[in-house]
Amino acid sequence: MKIIENVIMALKALGSNKVRTFLTMLGVIIGVFAVIVLVSMGEGAKAYIHASISSFGEGTNYLEVRAWQEGEGPFGTLSMLDSKLTYKDAIAIKEKSKYLKYIDPRIIRKGEVGYGRITHKIPFVFGVSPDYVYVFTHAVKDGRFFSEADIAEQKKVMVLGPTVAQKLFGGLSPVGERIKLKGYFFTVIGVFTKKGTMVGFDYDDIVAIPITAAEELYNTDSVIEMGMSAIKEDDIEKLKAEVENILLIRHGKKDFRVDTQEESLDLLNGILGILTGVVGGIAAISLLVGSIGIMNIMLVSVTERTREIGIRKAIGAKRNDIFTQFVVEATVISFIGGTIGIVLGIIASLTIMYFLNLPLTVSVWSVFLACTVSVIIGIFSGVYPAIRAGNLNPVEALRYE
Amino acid sequence: MNENSTIRLESLKKTYKLGAVDVPALREISFEVFKGEFVSIMGPSGCGKSTLMNMIGCLDKPSSGKIILDKIDTENLNDNELAIVRNRKIGFVFQMFNLLPRLTALENIELPMIYAGKNKIDREKASSQILEAVNLKDRATHYPREMSGGQMQRVAIARALINHPALLLADEPTGNLDSKSSVEILKILQNLNNNGMTIILVTHEPDIASYTKRKIILKDGNLVEDQTLEQVKIQ
Ligand SMILES: Nc1ncnc2c1ncn2[C@@H]1O[C@H](COP(=O)(O)OP(=O)(O)O)[C@@H](O)[C@H]1O
Ligand SMILES: [Mg+2]
Repeated sequence: MKIIENVIMALKALGSNKVRTFLTMLGVIIGVFAVIVLVSMGEGAKAYIHASISSFGEGTNYLEVRAWQEGEGPFGTLSMLDSKLTYKDAIAIKEKSKYLKYIDPRIIRKGEVGYGRITHKIPFVFGVSPDYVYVFTHAVKDGRFFSEADIAEQKKVMVLGPTVAQKLFGGLSPVGERIKLKGYFFTVIGVFTKKGTMVGFDYDDIVAIPITAAEELYNTDSVIEMGMSAIKEDDIEKLKAEVENILLIRHGKKDFRVDTQEESLDLLNGILGILTGVVGGIAAISLLVGSIGIMNIMLVSVTERTREIGIRKAIGAKRNDIFTQFVVEATVISFIGGTIGIVLGIIASLTIMYFLNLPLTVSVWSVFLACTVSVIIGIFSGVYPAIRAGNLNPVEALRYE
Repeated sequence: MNENSTIRLESLKKTYKLGAVDVPALREISFEVFKGEFVSIMGPSGCGKSTLMNMIGCLDKPSSGKIILDKIDTENLNDNELAIVRNRKIGFVFQMFNLLPRLTALENIELPMIYAGKNKIDREKASSQILEAVNLKDRATHYPREMSGGQMQRVAIARALINHPALLLADEPTGNLDSKSSVEILKILQNLNNNGMTIILVTHEPDIASYTKRKIILKDGNLVEDQTLEQVKIQ
């Protein structure tokens, strides 16, 4: 008996009890839908973060030092909150290193700036040094960035992101104006060029102040991270080893980690990957539940159709014909359910991403996976009921009421 | 062995096991049916008629004894081979019609051809031909629930004949029919037999048995009488 005949037969049988067929499918539809939407969202967020990071052009000549503790999990613990890195570390590295070109230690806080009666909340107040503009390739278009002298004197000066400038001053030049931050007045000495958004944050909605002023303002000497570049790009690995050495001597233990751009991405990928995996795993459980639903219904169906099976056997159906009939039925259910789930999942993913302003990507592998899994589920959940059907004794089956 | 033997039973026994109890349904049955015969099997309810038909039709296996069907010894056939024998050599007509409710008349009739691996074109040709033979052309696309008992039984006969079996088995085919439909069905069987089909018909009504040419009577799983119609007339 050909498989086409089996599929036609299965569609007929399924069509004769549409409500039940649909309810059986629902488990697979929801499972596949959930897998695709959740994995696509995860992948979309990842793609977005990658795109934003590489568009910022820190490039391959870049190292980042972060506070870190050895610990559980593949990545240890990123401990930004009790960082032991300090501005003095940065100065020491600058003095001792042979390969370093720029070093950019950062104290980063949220804040609220005020000008006259206007106040504006900003996601990032950067306490940085003059190297910031080189490492972060962030140019100043109006006025100037602060100098080593401003740092040394803990000058209350400030450079504004264009969004902040626009909010507080409209079209007018803010240079020379005095802005209030945490109860202190800062003199505006420049405005950054437009940088854009990264990872969902508007990098034009920031202000930068001298790192020494930030230390005083926030009463801290710990910096969250330091960006670095080498004199020669080829020496980036040597610079990494050198920086690790210097910090290890200064701190006495490895309470930090130094990552190249690639390693930073790996770190991010790892975290996002775990997240996507967990969420995808939860969705996969619903797919499993769907498959148990199919098996359950197929078992009921075999019992209900005992007489039909007897008749088919009496007129010449082999064990294998009956087995195939039920497996194909289960597979067709899950295939159709899977297809509906895929279509709905793709539509939903694209819609959600559209509204979240993420790039419109559908995780191809999740679609492929959901597709394969739903067919495999159909086959597997059909096998046991189908074996029972195939093994029915024809006389017994014909006597069944 | 006779060239014309269609079915030959040698010391056939069947005992059902109900828990620890043995229920002997057939004690020791031997007879032979030749090509072109029209045989009725009679006897009171519970005497083993259906059991015998199921053995002959390869739906069930005897506890002991031999069944030789169209020169095939069925004793050593496996499940698959038995299915093939049921499909090609046997046409079965039941009291309860046993049509598949979700298939049309035509689809029901085609079913044995599907299991025989015949293609759609052959199937359609054969099924519409045979539907005409049982005078049901206008019911081709009807479902069983839309047909009368007599019509359903005619569909069942058409289905039994579609693969040109060597033997047609009918287990009380008129048991659920009114007398008019019964006569109709018996006429069809008689007609088939006149055209050479070998038929075994189970009934407990002497009227119906009179349509056949030979009568076998069972009692408590034993064969107690085997007479041709001529012998009956002489008596
Ligand atoms: N599957 C079975 N299991 C147990 N006993 C059975 C089974 N089928 C038939 N019998 C018994 O075998 C005997 C013959 O039954 P059956 O062949 O159906 O009789 P008939 O068709 O002549 O009425 C009866 O006593 C019946 O109860
Ligand atoms: Mg009976």
